[in-house]
Amino acid sequence: MEFTQIKFERSGGFANIRITAELNLRDLSDEQAIALKELLDELDFPKLPTKLTSGETVPDEFIYTITVETEKWQHTIIADGVPKDAKIQELLELLNRLARKKMRNL
Amino acid sequence: MCPCFHPVECVIPEHMLESIATHGTSAQRQAALNNIRVVYQLRAEQAMRASFKGLFDSAIPRAINNEKERVIYDAMRRDTLPGTVARREGDAPSSDPAVNEAYDGGGTTYDLFMKEFGRNSIDNRAMRLDASVHYRTGYDNAFWDGTQMVYGDGDEDLPTDERLFNRFTIAVDIIGHELTHGVTQFEAKLVYSQQSGALNEHMSDVFGSLVKQYQLQQSASEADWIIGGGLLTGNVNGVGVRSMKTPGAAYDDPVLGKDPQPAHMRAYVNTVSDNGGVHINSGIPNHAFYLTALEIGGYAWKKAGQIWYTALRDKLSESSNFQQCADLTHQTAGELFGVGSLEQQAVQHGWAAVGLTVSESGGKPKPSGCLEATLRFIGAA
Ligand SMILES: [Zn+2]
Ligand SMILES: [Zn+2]
Repeated sequence: MEFTQIKFERSGGFANIRITAELNLRDLSDEQAIALKELLDELDFPKLPTKLTSGETVPDEFIYTITVETEKWQHTIIADGVPKDAKIQELLELLNRLARKKMRNL
Repeated sequence: MCPCFHPVECVIPEHMLESIATHGTSAQRQAALNNIRVVYQLRAEQAMRASFKGLFDSAIPRAINNEKERVIYDAMRRDTLPGTVARREGDAPSSDPAVNEAYDGGGTTYDLFMKEFGRNSIDNRAMRLDASVHYRTGYDNAFWDGTQMVYGDGDEDLPTDERLFNRFTIAVDIIGHELTHGVTQFEAKLVYSQQSGALNEHMSDVFGSLVKQYQLQQSASEADWIIGGGLLTGNVNGVGVRSMKTPGAAYDDPVLGKDPQPAHMRAYVNTVSDNGGVHINSGIPNHAFYLTALEIGGYAWKKAGQIWYTALRDKLSESSNFQQCADLTHQTAGELFGVGSLEQQAVQHGWAAVGLTVSESGGKPKPSGCLEATLRFIGAA
């Protein structure tokens, strides 16, 4: 999936330290870009429901908002820290790692 | 009421909106709309709880001798809970500091609730205190999952000079905070969104801080009122994640940003992040509690804590907002210490300083005619 930009936000959690990042292709190594594109394809990202929350609120769990932009469309999902799907979990963790790294290398 | 159990999918029927729109002032209409949202979510949850109640209740692990019983697990950096037993009640200390911190902090929290408030554990029926440490890798969080406490190790997977967090068991008030989420789940059941969610967070910060003060035997004026002291590493310019004494001043750092908490209603933050700012706007009631405790003086858990605990147990409910919390803690102070007592005045002054005037009746505001009719319409009143 040829994205132009991915916007990532993690809020909530006990410490409520907000992590945000706008990830462009130039921010990523080839390896990271390929991994991300594959994940987005496998998830069929534009078809994912907007809300991927588990229904019951877990105090101090994280809340994630992810927007993927391509030349043709953009799509946003909101997920909590306990998604049932392993691929979603993988996407959240990968984006969180990238955003965390970007945040520390200001 | 809609038949499904997915609150986020609920929609308000159009005819109901029309009926609200023809009644009352615009403020009343707004209040009705806000309340309908909360009520919908509640009714779905209540229905779900009711249908599983017997099952849930018998599934809760309880102490065999009706006393304090802790079980600390090691999740071994994986995301499977609870993990392997690392220390049981009465066992000698482990070689792992996180295990011992979770054990000791759980014990101090149990003791505060039991000895000072007469509450036997999270459910007041000797619920076993289960906690898992070393949850996942690079997990900079702690949470209450509805049945147990869960602690991460911070960002231990990064090089030392990039780390912002230490392990989440390092501060006893974090342990008290998470356990109190359990208490709230069994008592007021404050919905974890917007103002009721900020009150849920507020209660966890109040009793978290009181656990630390109780452990250190500090008076209100001696305490630091910091939440998460010691959690941030030396790479961060900050003393903790929140300050009840000076909300907004816990940290100010190039990487983490600035502590976003307000200390007054005029700075209330409207946001969709963080479940509607539950960890942000909690600064307002947090500061009111701090001011109340300081004015009363002495150990904060003796009087201010007693007032707040009683309100959490007997007065607050799922959709309570800041104004109702102010009114109900004021009412509770009157019942515990006398109407017009110095304690009740301290509560009034605490709330006034953050921009909330307690109502003279001190009771739960009666729903307006329109709101009442609407609630009756959907079967909530
Ligand atoms: Zn919390
Ligand atoms: Zn529904």
